[in-house]
Amino acid sequence: MFVFKYLFYALVFPGALFTIAAGLLLSGLDRKVIARMQRRIGPPIMQPVYDFFKLMGKENIIPAAANRAAYRLAPALSFVSLAFVMVFIPVFGFSAFSGNADLIVILYLITIPGVALIIGGSSTGSPYGAIGISREMVTMMAYELPFVLVLLAVAKKAGGSTLVFSLKEICDYQAANGCFLFKWSMIPAAVAMLLVIPAEVGTQPFDVAEAETEICEGPLCEYSGPPLAVFKLSTCMKMFVMTGLFTALFLGGIRTGNAVLDAVLFVLICCVVTVICITTVHAVTARLRIQHLFKFYWTYVAITALASLVLVWFGL
Amino acid sequence: MIQHFPVLAVMILFLGAFLIEIIGRNDTVRNLIAFVAVTGSLILLAALIGPVMLEGQIISYWMGGWAPVANYAIGIGYEVDALGLLFALLGITAYWLSCVYSFGYMKGREHLSHYYTLFLMLAGASIGFFLTGDLFNMFIMMEIVTFSAVALTASNTEKLTAIEGAFKYLINCSIGSAMSLTGIALIYLECHTLNLAQLSAMLPGSLSMTAVMAFALLLSGFCVESAMIPFHASFVDAHTVAPSSVSMILSGMVLKIGVYGLIRCCYIVFRLIDTAQLQILLTALGSLTMFIGVTMALAQHDFKRLLAFHSVSQLGYIIAAAGLCTSLGLTGSLFHAINHTLFKGLLFLCAGAVIHSTGTSDLDSLGGLSKRMPVTCCCFLIGAFSISGLPPFNGFVSKWMIYQAAYTKALETGNFYYVIVTVTALVVSVMTLASFVKVLHSVFFGQLRSVHSQAEEAPKIMLVPMVIMSVLCVFTGVFYKGFSKLFIGPAVYSAFGNTSYIDSMMGKGYSELFGVRALSPDALSFSCWNPYIWLVLFIIVFAAAALVLFVNTDSFGRTLEKGMSYPSVYGTGDMNRDFLGNTHVEGDPSEKYAVFFSGEKAEYSHAGGSDLFWGFKYNWHKYYSLLQGLHSGSVNDYCCYAVMCIAAITVFMFIFIR
Amino acid sequence: MFDKLINKSAMKSPWIFHINAGSCNGCDIEIVAVMTTLYDAERFGFKIVGSPRHADIVVVSGPVTLQSRDRLIRTLAQVPEPKCVVSVGSCPQSGNVFKGSYALDGPLEKYVHVDVAVAGCAAKPEAIMEGLYKAAQILEEKRRKIRVAAGRKLSAEAVPEADTASDIGTDIKDTDVKDTEEKDNEGKEAADV
Repeated sequence: MFVFKYLFYALVFPGALFTIAAGLLLSGLDRKVIARMQRRIGPPIMQPVYDFFKLMGKENIIPAAANRAAYRLAPALSFVSLAFVMVFIPVFGFSAFSGNADLIVILYLITIPGVALIIGGSSTGSPYGAIGISREMVTMMAYELPFVLVLLAVAKKAGGSTLVFSLKEICDYQAANGCFLFKWSMIPAAVAMLLVIPAEVGTQPFDVAEAETEICEGPLCEYSGPPLAVFKLSTCMKMFVMTGLFTALFLGGIRTGNAVLDAVLFVLICCVVTVICITTVHAVTARLRIQHLFKFYWTYVAITALASLVLVWFGL
Repeated sequence: MIQHFPVLAVMILFLGAFLIEIIGRNDTVRNLIAFVAVTGSLILLAALIGPVMLEGQIISYWMGGWAPVANYAIGIGYEVDALGLLFALLGITAYWLSCVYSFGYMKGREHLSHYYTLFLMLAGASIGFFLTGDLFNMFIMMEIVTFSAVALTASNTEKLTAIEGAFKYLINCSIGSAMSLTGIALIYLECHTLNLAQLSAMLPGSLSMTAVMAFALLLSGFCVESAMIPFHASFVDAHTVAPSSVSMILSGMVLKIGVYGLIRCCYIVFRLIDTAQLQILLTALGSLTMFIGVTMALAQHDFKRLLAFHSVSQLGYIIAAAGLCTSLGLTGSLFHAINHTLFKGLLFLCAGAVIHSTGTSDLDSLGGLSKRMPVTCCCFLIGAFSISGLPPFNGFVSKWMIYQAAYTKALETGNFYYVIVTVTALVVSVMTLASFVKVLHSVFFGQLRSVHSQAEEAPKIMLVPMVIMSVLCVFTGVFYKGFSKLFIGPAVYSAFGNTSYIDSMMGKGYSELFGVRALSPDALSFSCWNPYIWLVLFIIVFAAAALVLFVNTDSFGRTLEKGMSYPSVYGTGDMNRDFLGNTHVEGDPSEKYAVFFSGEKAEYSHAGGSDLFWGFKYNWHKYYSLLQGLHSGSVNDYCCYAVMCIAAITVFMFIFIR
Repeated sequence: MFDKLINKSAMKSPWIFHINAGSCNGCDIEIVAVMTTLYDAERFGFKIVGSPRHADIVVVSGPVTLQSRDRLIRTLAQVPEPKCVVSVGSCPQSGNVFKGSYALDGPLEKYVHVDVAVAGCAAKPEAIMEGLYKAAQILEEKRRKIRVAAGRKLSAEAVPEADTASDIGTDIKDTDVKDTEEKDNEGKEAADV
């Protein structure tokens, strides 16, 4: 019986299906809201769904220079790992794989989609792909430092002098003592995390890796048809996973008592976070250069996150 | 019977070395002797797993029956506890794999009998180093290791710089062994014995100035052997130029001699590891090493040199974790030591396979080899993921333990310094990933050079060790719980609780004579993730998703490869007809599968190699110009750093330990 | 199973790749204008992409010059099916004021079947919008026809069993196909506004 339970977790509720649905919603919302911000009508909310299915129906051309196995497995890896990261993130009170998920596991699992994109882009043999993966990797290195500092600050705040890395315990602590977003010592960490999300997802101004105007969408340059559809879908899912992680880390204390209500509320909060950190930032900025991106994360964002860690360290 | 096994395991290797020199003119005979020797040693050591690891025995053996007289050890003793056996097993596994690999890799070179003689000497000496219970014997073994390693490095006739690298290696190790020898002499002066068990009863507690000096020198010696910053530079040079089968041993195994010595010395013999200052010194050295190692690796453009710098970096993890003095930290450290041997060995073997096929290890002149060498590419991917710590490979588990141990230490002591150690470890991990992405792209993916278009997969005898190591990487990562319980738990326990180590060697009650207190290991409790359900589900869903992308349904877009045609409305698969059947020529049909090149004719265009992470290096150019200046390649400079650092360590010891 | 959804999506999410085949830039900025706030083609799902591999609609502007000809052909070959070609401006149709130049090797029709031709010098954004919208509709038809063609190919392989042959490709009735084929055979639909 427990096999079905875990299958359900992995495939339906916090896993694949839920993540896909919420990710597509967030992505559609992002495009709609940005259009409204620019006083346009914008595409329908359903647009990412159409994009996905349209790409599924397109011809899939595998370039002659590509490594065929890696070319086709990379999107699957990206998609599946994202679906499985979500299993580890508690939806407020509910966590599917409770107890054995922690911040470090999630930190590493979240890098796997990036690695999949890199393998995919690299395997196509395109020079644009090469530049793209280089930028993707530098972006990953850039946001890793602030991301780590944020996670350590959260762990310290939730644990005091004992080690608490478990996300579930962090959520429980917030349920008992109030959400971290409303603790003033954690506000810098929240801000840093909000800045990490767009880089992780790869939206403007941090979309250097997939800059379509200069390097033809970088790693995705040679992709077409279903694999491209899966990569685009993973980008949407990543949006949800990252905002979901933010919600769990900083607003994990919300409890309504009803699992369905919890899930709906969770998605709503993710929508708000998306609008704040992805859409607004996208609407008001232009693309950074890669070296400036790296510098930005290792100085301003890292210092913000570090400030929070130091404040928490001294018991504030 | 069983107490003879450790000595036999060492002797059989030395015996093999001499036999090869005498009767090893014939290829088959020589290979057979080498194989029998390493296999025999492997079996003998594996037979010890039961009593030592499971039952917790400590095997003691006095050479020639020279048992202690009046509580003073006069003979040379072999003493096998779980810690020593762990390293010895690790060592002999690496030697076995490397030996098998050598059969393919070294085939057809000159003076092979010398190669195998030296190889078996190296193996015997390093196994002996881990099993011996005598400080001077350790020194002897270290010297044999050094000299055979130097000769093996120089034996690479394909590289002109091999002799230079060997020379640097020799000089650097000489500094280390000179320091160790002086330290040993001082200890003998102080205690009149060199037996480890006896020393660990006599020394701790009340250290005289001489003993502190001796400790500082021994510590420096082992730091040199384990390639800590700033002793690493000449090791890197040597690992780069040695034959790959030897590089794997030098990098994966010989550096562990320093680690083992350090753990043995700090945890058991001097038992100083619970001194806060020593912990800070070791973690600082470790953190610095991992950071400088990985940043240097990012700038390399030679496959093997990059790997060598990564060895330095990973050794930093091991030493930093060992310096935490918690049982989780030591578990992580030992686990990482094992993992490092596995994945670094694997990566060096992959590098060897690439060199074997293409004749070069220059990242700027390789590319696209995954099509020609799929097995090597797969093995490399597993090795790269392991070393970057991606779950579920083994590097993830050990790194996870190290992070957790470091952060727990930070929280318990309230010392912000350990937070910096944790953050360094975490950030270095992603940089490791970055540099392996560089290798992956520059060597295996991207476009195939026409020069290497006929490159062949390595022969099977070379692939076998690579595949075994890949399987081990996955196996230890997935079944880490059983693995750490079986092998690492006893080793950690024996490193912390050393009274039985003394008693089994010197007779019962000896440790009480000196009032030896064992370090109290904190209860080893770690709850990593439980990967099995997750992993099984992951594999199932991944397979399903992959199937969808592989399957050629018409409902979704068909997958087209070169030479296939799209279903045309008119039923003919004529590529040159456009959709409506018009016979307009849309160019050469192969253009469709060419790489997009802004409309230009696709040509060879492999953007890769050393400068792939330009955006990263741009921000660090001052740091890099400084480091590149320091890595001058001059052995004088390296000696100068080494001596300065040893002086600093000694001064540090005198200020803080006393 | 997903056929209907995919067919529908083919119309709702056409991605555009723009090739400049020697244009004077007049039409190019009008194409960009289509995406701006005033015209907002994104509300129909249009999106400008950076790689021909992602494109559904290839927009070509400019008379095909000798220099750009090979690049144009190469890039067009790399666009996956189903795809549409839209020419924007008078130049790809006739050569416009450049006609007769030694440097031209147009019109575009010589090299590829143009599905929609938008005339004008420069073409007005409204006209481009309508042209693109028509191209999106053609895309959907093409997608259907590909499905039918694939079904036919399958049924040809399974000749003896008539039942299975009729099972495959039942989504679209034969009459529908004839209709669309006839329509298409009439040639391109010009959208001169």
